[in-house]
Amino acid sequence: MHSTGLNTNQMMRQVIYALVLGVSASYVFFGWGVVIQILLGTIAALVVEATFVAMRGRQVLASISDGSAALTGILLAISIPAIAPWWVVVVGVAFAIIFGKQLYGGLGNNPFNPAMLGYAFLLISYPLQMTTWPVDFLSFSQVIDEVFNLVNFDGISGATRLDDVKTSLSLGSDIATLQVRSISQAWINIGFLVGGIYLLARKIIFWHIPVAVLSGILMMALLISIFDSQQHLPVQNHLILGGTMLGAFFIATDPVSASTTPKGRLIYGFLMGVLIVIIRAYGGYPDGIAFAVLLMNMMVPLIDQYTQPKVFGRS
Amino acid sequence: MLDQTFSGGVVIANPYPVEQVKIIQAPLPNQVVLPLQQRIGAEAKPCVEVGDRVLTGQVIAKTQDQFCVPIHASISGTVMAIDKQIIPHKSGLKSTCIRIESDGQDEWVETKGCGSDFLHCDRQTLIDYVQRSGIVGLGGAGFPSHTKLNKATGCHTLIINGTECEPGVMCDDALMQHHPREVIRGVEILLHITGAKRAIIAIEDDKQEAYQSLLMFNHNDLISLAQLPTKYTSGAEKLLIKALLDIEIPSGGFAADKGILCQNVSSTKAIFDAVIDQRPLVSRIVTITGDALTPVNVEARLGTSFEHIISLTDVNQQAHDYRMGGMMMGIDIENTQMPICKITNCIFVNNRKPKQLAKECIRCNTCNTVCPIGLLPQQLYWHAKGENIEKCMDYHLFDCIECACCSYVCPSHIDLAGYFSFAKALHKKQATDQHKTDIARDRFEFREYRLERNKQERAQMMAEKKQALKDKMAKDKEQGQVQKDKIAQAMARVNKIKEKDA
Repeated sequence: MHSTGLNTNQMMRQVIYALVLGVSASYVFFGWGVVIQILLGTIAALVVEATFVAMRGRQVLASISDGSAALTGILLAISIPAIAPWWVVVVGVAFAIIFGKQLYGGLGNNPFNPAMLGYAFLLISYPLQMTTWPVDFLSFSQVIDEVFNLVNFDGISGATRLDDVKTSLSLGSDIATLQVRSISQAWINIGFLVGGIYLLARKIIFWHIPVAVLSGILMMALLISIFDSQQHLPVQNHLILGGTMLGAFFIATDPVSASTTPKGRLIYGFLMGVLIVIIRAYGGYPDGIAFAVLLMNMMVPLIDQYTQPKVFGRS
Repeated sequence: MLDQTFSGGVVIANPYPVEQVKIIQAPLPNQVVLPLQQRIGAEAKPCVEVGDRVLTGQVIAKTQDQFCVPIHASISGTVMAIDKQIIPHKSGLKSTCIRIESDGQDEWVETKGCGSDFLHCDRQTLIDYVQRSGIVGLGGAGFPSHTKLNKATGCHTLIINGTECEPGVMCDDALMQHHPREVIRGVEILLHITGAKRAIIAIEDDKQEAYQSLLMFNHNDLISLAQLPTKYTSGAEKLLIKALLDIEIPSGGFAADKGILCQNVSSTKAIFDAVIDQRPLVSRIVTITGDALTPVNVEARLGTSFEHIISLTDVNQQAHDYRMGGMMMGIDIENTQMPICKITNCIFVNNRKPKQLAKECIRCNTCNTVCPIGLLPQQLYWHAKGENIEKCMDYHLFDCIECACCSYVCPSHIDLAGYFSFAKALHKKQATDQHKTDIARDRFEFREYRLERNKQERAQMMAEKKQALKDKMAKDKEQGQVQKDKIAQAMARVNKIKEKDA
């Protein structure tokens, strides 16, 4: 009754399809860079996966056809700025696949979300490239020039929106004036939200994690806004800025690295939401998704241990 | 219609439905092969010899312990051999069987039951009839009915299991449609034996015709009919009790502990035959289904070969895969020469297809949601694969009923239930090995202890002997001295006397 009737490969493909809306919204606001990064990420993921699977003496075709490597590449490519130099996504994806997945024994054995591991690695290593976003729609040729470092434009890029808002707030700007420019982020988040609802409807993901993540974010944001409203974003902005919806529906729900029990998934998601807001509000990085996911990944064995469901006939 | 149910399970419609659930009588086979090994208990002991003529229904092997039922000849003819044959079992091992060649007469042994008025018979006599007629659970478990009945003291509720939840199997459905009177009478006999206050016949809601026909023949106020939603694993005894009565039988406990007795509907009909006519169980209805033929129900004599029954259908000419039992919990079989036995409720004949290769588990959680027991199959799989039995026990491996719901929904096509069956076997092996090691170690340690003790005892004995010798010598010496002294004194006296005399 819960079966999707899909096999693992088809499930992965469905997740990729569900990303289309959010990615389209991203394209509308940031231009061709989005597409280029996804292409780079996917190709890099498939090449690295194939190489490592071959080195491990496993079946290459079966491994890359399951779609998991491509998905990792796409998720990472979506998360990084659309005008990041080409080597950023390639290095990030290679790190994600090698250190996040293959070294643990491939699909299903990795304790951490590979895409977020790659993202965290990039953010720590290349903070400048990782926080510079285009401010406007960029044409194909502009993107090619920018991504492959052929020509440097001035005035097409700015800081990541969340970072930008945080800086402005700390400098005493009014929240009301800052909200106008967040419209692009809102649309992108709505795109991913719709994609996430599609996944829920197809029963490819379960409701526990997204609902828990979003309530964790809401709860913590509410607490912060009550006690410390001047310096911080209002509650609703936490839901529409940054990678909130992408994180809640596509990244936190990565089954391999998430908690596996129904109760555990609620705890896992909720704490992740809380951590996301704490990192956003008080941390040194613009967005908290990647670090919150990795921290919660570490807690999965502990959570699973204490949230086993009741077994029939046992009290 | 019942609303309440148990959590988990999967909804699978009959993959090969038929318009009319008919029963075809199979023609007498040329020979039957009857295994002496029952599902549980010791092997039965043959009481006929090669060359003997036997009649249908004659006891040809006797029980060795209380769990067993006797084995009856299912056709009349001559005993041709008592030897090892392949039987339909997961292990694929051979077992001793009696082979009877038919004389085509089907001459029955004379039997006499207690007739239609069973009420004058007491409980034990009736249970005796049940045992002597060789009745076991015909749903697939094969547990002897008389053992259950003997245990059912203080039983308040009788549940007749007509759910037949395994998709594809239709033999109980056919039986209920075509023998409703016998089923109802069988329930009445069971009520009389157990003294239960009520009986519930449980039927899934996709078997409307069976439900209607039973309803028509049921004029007993103590017997009620319940319809359950069509969901797989609702036929599992404990889950059925949960759905019908909302009682959860504790892990490791039995239905009898809570005053409940479950009997399969086909067994109930067999009990009717046994008590009224004392007609032993020599045939059963088998569903033959699958995508290679038009599904039929065949009533066949026990011991008939699969091949003989399959030949009655319009099976196509392709290469086939065979499976005995349901599509979920059944076993794949290679050899169609095997005999059908009391637990053969269904034979699947499918066109051979390439097997789905298992992929890696991505911990998608689907299996968790369908497990009717509330286990975590993916965690169990992880530990079973790593052969970490201790961890498997932490995740309640032995609560698994191997219903294979998890395997059915797994998007990576992993045979999860197969891994759990393997882990259980491994646990048993480890336990036996451990037991053997313990015995060997105990024996070794005792030997060491014994040798050491002997050594000490010997040393002590030697020391004691030495001491005794020493003491004796000392004593002797002392005594010698005393003697010497006495002699000396005597001499002195003599000398004194001599001196005086001089």
